[in-house]
Amino acid sequence: MSTHPQKRSKRNDYREKAAAAAAASQQSADSSAADIKLPRKKFYRQRAHANPFSDHQLDYPLSPAHMDWASRYPAYADPNPEKINLGGFRQMLKDVEVVDIGCGFGGLLVALAPLLPETLMVGMEIRVQVLDYVNTRINALRAQQLRLRSATPNNTATSNQGTPAPPSSTATPTPTPASAPAESNDNEVDDDDDDDETALPTTALPGGYQNISAIRSNTMKFLPNFFGKHQLSKIFICFPDPHFKARKHKQRIVSESLNAEYAYVLRPGGLLYTITDVEEYHHWVLRHFKEGDAPEGEEGAAGVVGDVRDLFERVSEEELAQDECVRVMSMETEESKKVTRNKGNKYVAVFRRKADPEWVV
Amino acid sequence: MDVDPQLQLPFHCVRFVEQQQGGAAQDLLIASAGRKLYSYAADSGRRLAVWPQDANNAETVKDNEAQQDEKDQEPPGKKRKTDTSAPAGGKKPKSLPDWSHIPILTISSSGKYVVALTAEDKCIRVFQIAEDGSLKELSERGMPKRPCALAVTGDDSTILCADKFGDVYSLPLIPSETPYVAPKESRPAKPIQPAASNLTVHSKRNLASLEQQMMLYKQGKWGNPEEKSSLGFEHRLLLGHVSLLTDLAFVSFPDSKRSYILTADRDEHVRVSRGPPQAHVIENYCLGHTSFITKLCIPAWAPQFLVTGGGDNYLLVWKWSEGRVLQKVPLVADDSEIVVRDIWAAALQTSPTETSKVILVAIDGSPRLLCFLQEADGSLKEQGSIAVSGNVIDVTPIEKSGTIVIAVDDVHNAGSIQEWRSTSTNQSVLLESFRVKPDGQGLAWDPVTEPLVATINSEGTSPAPTDAESKRRKDFSEALYGLKNLRKMRMGEDD
Repeated sequence: MSTHPQKRSKRNDYREKAAAAAAASQQSADSSAADIKLPRKKFYRQRAHANPFSDHQLDYPLSPAHMDWASRYPAYADPNPEKINLGGFRQMLKDVEVVDIGCGFGGLLVALAPLLPETLMVGMEIRVQVLDYVNTRINALRAQQLRLRSATPNNTATSNQGTPAPPSSTATPTPTPASAPAESNDNEVDDDDDDDETALPTTALPGGYQNISAIRSNTMKFLPNFFGKHQLSKIFICFPDPHFKARKHKQRIVSESLNAEYAYVLRPGGLLYTITDVEEYHHWVLRHFKEGDAPEGEEGAAGVVGDVRDLFERVSEEELAQDECVRVMSMETEESKKVTRNKGNKYVAVFRRKADPEWVV
Repeated sequence: MDVDPQLQLPFHCVRFVEQQQGGAAQDLLIASAGRKLYSYAADSGRRLAVWPQDANNAETVKDNEAQQDEKDQEPPGKKRKTDTSAPAGGKKPKSLPDWSHIPILTISSSGKYVVALTAEDKCIRVFQIAEDGSLKELSERGMPKRPCALAVTGDDSTILCADKFGDVYSLPLIPSETPYVAPKESRPAKPIQPAASNLTVHSKRNLASLEQQMMLYKQGKWGNPEEKSSLGFEHRLLLGHVSLLTDLAFVSFPDSKRSYILTADRDEHVRVSRGPPQAHVIENYCLGHTSFITKLCIPAWAPQFLVTGGGDNYLLVWKWSEGRVLQKVPLVADDSEIVVRDIWAAALQTSPTETSKVILVAIDGSPRLLCFLQEADGSLKEQGSIAVSGNVIDVTPIEKSGTIVIAVDDVHNAGSIQEWRSTSTNQSVLLESFRVKPDGQGLAWDPVTEPLVATINSEGTSPAPTDAESKRRKDFSEALYGLKNLRKMRMGEDD
C-alpha cells in the first residue's frame, strides 16, 4: 500500500469506528434511523487503476454453483437451510441477474435498487478499498431501511415479498430525516470531487436495498466463475478505465474476446450497457461490436472470423430514450456526476444479446 | 558410430507417424532434441534426416560449442562474464540458429506434415514429410507472443495456435501462394491523436501529461505507428482469454459436422467454444480445477470425454459438452504438490481383435508413467505404473503394435528437475519402449528392446551442456521443466 502513513492511520481509525458503530446499531434495534451513517468516500480512496493481468489475491468460486450468494442477499436466501449448493452455501430463491462491471463507489447499484426492487444486482470491483466502501454503504442503507420500516409498519411503499420482516422491535421511534451531514465536514478536503451523499433516503423504498451487493473480482478473468450461461439480463459497463495508451488497450474491459464472454453470461434479449466520457473509447466499443462507422482503428487488421454481430445488435436511440436504466446510468453514478460537473460529454451504446446463431456446419 | 561419453540431449518431443498408404512409405519417428529435429525409420531406428540439416552448419555449431567450452575453462571467477559477453562479440550468433529447443511438435492427421515450434523465435514451422522420411521446411511464421499449444484441424487445412497472451489464432497449414496482404491496411490517413481531452482527465498530474501529449501532437511527434506491426502472413484471431493459455484441443464430430475448440488457461478454466468460423460463440465452461491446467486430453475412441490435469494433485474426467465432472482421479496418496506434465490417450492393440484404452499420465520430474484404463462410462481405473530410468518427458504410442515409446530424461537425476547427473557411466538412455500384455482384467507391460530404441540410444543426439556450462544447464532445465512456473505465488499484501 502506498498510502501516506498519516492518511492510512486516519483511514483505519475511521473504519474501526464505523465498524463499531455499525455493530452497536445492529444490537440496539431501537435507536433511531438517524444515527446510521453513510461511509465517507475519502477514507476509501484508491488509485483508479488495477492491473487486470496480475494475480491479485482474489476469492472466487470454483463455479457459479459454488458461490455464497446467500450471505450477500440474506433476504433472498432459501428459508430452508437444508438446501445448499455445491459450495455448501444456502441456496437462493432467485439468481443474480444484473451485473455492474467496475461498480466503483456503487452509485449505479444504489440508484437502480429501488427501480428494480425484485431483481438481484451485483457490483464487481477489483479495488479493495472501493469495494469496502460500497458494502459499508449498502449495509448502512439496508439498516436504515429496516429502521424506517419498523417505524412505519403500515408503509405501503414496501410491497416486497422477498424482504424479511424487520428485526422484531417494539419500540417505535419517530423517523428523523437524516439530512444532516453524516459527519462534520472537516477542512481537510483533499479531493475536489468528494461528492458524498450527505442524506440517506427518508422513506422506506421498495426492495430496501436487500437486492444489491458488491463483490471483489477481476471480471476479465473470472466472470464465468460467478455466472452461468445465459444467467444475466443486464450488464453495465459505466465509465470504464480508458487506458489511453495504445499499449494498454489490451487491458480495456471491452474487446472482441471479452464480448464473447459477455454473450455467454447474458441471456438472449439481455442488454449490455456502456457509457464513457472518452469519445475514442466509445468508438472503440462500437468497433469491437462491429457497429457503426467502418473500422478505422488499429484493431481492424486482425478481425475475428464470423462476427460478434452474430451475438449482439445495437439498441436504437428511440428505445434508449424509454429506458430508465440509461437515464440512471447517465445521471446517477458518481462518475457521471463528475463528468456533468466538468461539463464533459457522455457517450452511450447499448447492445442486445441475440439468440445463439445457428451452427455453421 | 562414435558414442559420445558425455550426456546426450534428451528428446523433448517424440511422435510416431504412421504412413497410411503402404508401398514404399515407411512408418517414422519424428523427434526433437535441443535445437534439432530428427526423423527416424520406425522399424530400424535408422536416422533419415536431421533439421537444420546441412553438415557445415552442424560443424559450425560444434566449433562454437568447442569455443565456448574453451572459454569456460578460464578461471572460474570470470566465467559468467565471458559467458554473457560471448554472444555480443563476433559473428557467432549468425551461424547459430536463434532457438535452443523445439518444445512443440504436432503431426497433421494425414501424417504428411510436421508442425513444430522453435522456442525463442516463436516461429511456427511446417515441414513436409517426404517418402524417404526427409523433412522439407515449407514455411516459418513468427508469432507475436509465445505459442503454448498447437493443433491441426482434422482436414489438415488449419493450424490453431494458443499463446501466452490468451489468444487463439488460426493460420492456414499451407500458406497460399499469393503474397499476403494485410486487410484494411489503407485506412483514412487520419492522424492518431491523444484520446484524452481536458474533459476526460482531471487530476493535476494527468492534466500535465495531457498537456505534454498535446504539445507533442502539435509538433507532429505524437503517435506510435510502429505499435501495431501486423503479421506478414494470413492469420485470424479466433478467441481470447485474459489469461495465459496452456493447452488447446480441436474436436470434430463427423455425424453432426460440428467442431469445437477447447482451451485451457492458467486461471483454472477450460472453455468450450464452437469451431471456426464461430469460435466467438462460447458453449460452456468446465470448472473444477483449483490450480492451473496444463493438459487437455480427448480420447479419439470417445471424444465426448475429456481428461484434464495440471497443478492439482488429481485429474478430472469430464463430459465436456455439459461441463460436468464425471470423476476426480487422485494422483498421489499424500497432498504433495505436483504438476501434470502431459496426458496421453492410446488405444493399444493387444490382439487382432482387441484394444486396451489406456490413459497415460506423466508427472513433471517423475520417472514413473501412471497408467489408467478408461471404461465405457469414461471413468478411469488405475493400473500399475511403468518405471523408467529417468524422468518421463514425452510418450508416443504405436497403437497397432500395442507399444509405447517413452522419451526419458537422461541428464537430470531421476526424480529431480534440477540436479544433473554427475557422470553417465553407461550409454545414454533416450528412449524406452514397452508393450502392453493382456493380463486378466488389468494392464501389464513388458519392456521391449526393439531396433528403433536400441539404435537411437546408441547413436545419441548431441552433447548436453557440460558441467562447466552451468548457465546453459540451468536454462536447459528451465526449458524442459517450465510448467511449475505457472503456479501462482500468493504472497504479500494485495491492495
